This record gives sequence, structure tokens and C-alpha cells, in this order.
Amino acid sequence: METQAVISCINIEKKYKNFKLKVDKVDFPKGFATALIGENGAGKTTLLELIAGLRLDHEGEISYFGKYSEKDREEDPVVKNSIGYTGTGNYFMPGWNLKQTKEVQELLFDGFDGDKYDEILKELAFSADNKTDANKKVNSLSDGNKTKLMLAGVLSRNTDLLLMDEPASALDPLMREKLCEIIREYLAEAEGEKSVIFSTHNIADMENVTDYAVIVENGEIAEQGFVEDLKEKYTYVKGDKKDEELGKKYMYDMTTNNYGFEGLCLSDDLDKLAGADIITETPTLTQLSVGIMRANTRLKLA
Amino acid sequence: MKISQNSKVPIYQQIADSFRTDILEGRLGQGEYLPSIRGLAKELKISVITTMKAYEELESEGMVTAVQGKGYYINPQDGEMLREQHMRKVEDALMEAIKYAKIAGMTDDELTDTLKTLLRFEEE
Repeated sequence: METQAVISCINIEKKYKNFKLKVDKVDFPKGFATALIGENGAGKTTLLELIAGLRLDHEGEISYFGKYSEKDREEDPVVKNSIGYTGTGNYFMPGWNLKQTKEVQELLFDGFDGDKYDEILKELAFSADNKTDANKKVNSLSDGNKTKLMLAGVLSRNTDLLLMDEPASALDPLMREKLCEIIREYLAEAEGEKSVIFSTHNIADMENVTDYAVIVENGEIAEQGFVEDLKEKYTYVKGDKKDEELGKKYMYDMTTNNYGFEGLCLSDDLDKLAGADIITETPTLTQLSVGIMRANTRLKLA
Repeated sequence: MKISQNSKVPIYQQIADSFRTDILEGRLGQGEYLPSIRGLAKELKISVITTMKAYEELESEGMVTAVQGKGYYINPQDGEMLREQHMRKVEDALMEAIKYAKIAGMTDDELTDTLKTLLRFEEE
């Protein structure tokens, strides 16, 4: 399938004292939702912040919408206005109240629609009685409400790309479902023109809204691809104890217990397990992610 | 359209099956367009790529044709062509069976006997 990239990252390197992010190449597909998946500290937030321009000095190149450079992102308001970013923690200044938060966004972004903003906050059940207290300070909000405030901010602008750092984590199950709905609606607004990139630990909740997966481990990309392709590349295998040695030899990743083993096998390697008494399944995104993360982790798991 | 998340049949396959039935039984006619990919994904609460894979499957079967920027329209259904496509699928599946028969060291007679036995079961 031919796709264009909404964001292209080439030879990105960003060094910290004890950590290095090193991304050889990622093309985030235009018109789709991409999930960044990986352990805490794997580099997901750093990558998103580099793309959003919240962190600057780094090696390599990031290009936007197939034609803009990072310099354009800084200088051309068209690029800035077409990207919406939601982060974790205190994206808005903690001392601001809700009225100021809205005013600042009106100032910062062309196309910010204040009425739509209020409407979305209502839709997201921001406050129980649908009345927002304009003097309420941002730092007195729950984490869930901080997320809703950021979501309303980006959704009330006319953007072509949403960058969202852990949008699901602070939301309750009902709101996670709503978040998925919001992402699908956003993508459907203009067939193939709008894209979403989000990081998440809540893989199962986001599976039905994930088109492309980028699995980050230890500062590097361990695997990436369209989910449907990854589900063909890997097969989930369960086997008996007697075949464990064969499994150890040919499985991509596996765990064992007293009765047998299970895990991911490269579909091309399935032939090598011929003769073993196994059952095979199409992996879920969670099984794929966990297997690939475990095979590439720097942690020593038992 | 009913989609089961817990079925052994992959979701994209369920979608393709549903449209294929609609086309073959005349509920969707020649020249009509399938729903937009992202619109259908939104309605069915599934990912865009899964919907796209369903449409690509229908395209590879010759049921629909993709038009850049417009979507997928339904082709006239030619009985002869459909039969040929299904025969090609039968050949592919049999090639797969032959491959595994070789791995298992089966003789040609054993393989044809297996096929005959399976056909008998199917009839019963």
C-alpha cells in the first residue's frame, strides 16, 4: 500500500546524561492514527516533543506534511496552526485560571474557535453541572480534567495533525472510549488528509483506533508497521512443555510456565516448529507490543 | 453490519464477507460506491487500516475498483470472472496443502486420498 508521510524523522539523535534517543527512520503515515508504544523511559515523550518542537537541539531531520522543515515549523504560522499538541502534566501554566487559559489559546493560534471550545468541554463532561468556573486555577484540576482541557484546545482549532502524549492515561474507561471516537471522527473529517500520532500504555483500549504502531525500546525503534501487516508478520503460538526447547530455539519471544510456553513467533519461522504440538493465533496489538517490547527490553525479566 | 471482536474470523474478513454478500445478492449495485473508509471505521468503531484491508481484499477479488480521491465503486459482476478467481484461490490453497504434504513426507496417493476423504465428509 502506498502512503505519504505526514511526519518524517531521519537519523534523529538526542542525548541526555543517561539516555540516548536514536531514530534511524520513521515515516508517520498521512491519514492514519499512529500509536507510539514502549516502556516508561523508552523515549516516546522525547520523540513527540521533538516533533512538536518543544525540544529543539537534536541531530537529524524532521519534516512536516511532506514539504516543511523544522525551521518552517518555527517561522511559518501555517505549519504551527496545523499542528495540535497535548502533553502530560502542566502544559498550561498551573497558575492560570480557565478564562486565561482560553484567552491565551485565542491569542496563540489562528482559527481557535472559542464557542467550539466551550461546546467540546461540555461534551467531554468537563464539569458535572456544565458550568465552568472561569476563575478556577489549572493546578486545582484533576489529571483527567487537565487532559480534557488540552483536548478541547486542540479540537477547537483547524488542524491537520494531532500529537498527543498519553491522552488516555488520565481518563476513565468511558472517556477513553470517547477519546477513540474523537480520533476516528477527526480522521473521517477529511478522508486521508488528517493524521494523529499518540503515545500510550493503554494498548488494549486504543487497539481499535491504532492503524500504525511504532514500538520504542531503549531509545530505539524496535519495530514499526501497519497493525494489519504486523499481525501477519508475527503469529501468537502456544505449545506444550515437551516442545519447550524447540520453542526456545525458534520463537521470537516466549514465556514459559509449568505446562507449556507461549509467545510470538515470526510467521516465516513457523515451519521450524513443524512437528511440535502447537496452536497458533493472530496476535492482538497487546500481545504484539508486549512480545516485541520484552524481546528488546533493557530490563532483565525473569 | 455486525462485527464480532471475538470471532476467529479477522475483522477485515468479516467486513469483506458482508460487502461481498451484499454485492453478490444485488443489495449493492454496479457503479455504487462503498462507504468512505474512515467513515465506515468511525461507524463500526474499528481502525482505519482494518477497514482499508477489507476494501483491498474486495479489490483484489475484482469486486470493486479504487478511484483516487473518490473511493471504491462496485464492478459489474461477471459470473465467469468470479469463477476464475475462485478457481485461482482453490489452486493457491492446494499448493499450500502440497507444500505441507511434502514436509510431512506424504505420498501423492495419500494426499489425494485425504482430499477425497475430506470431500466425503463435506458431503455428509
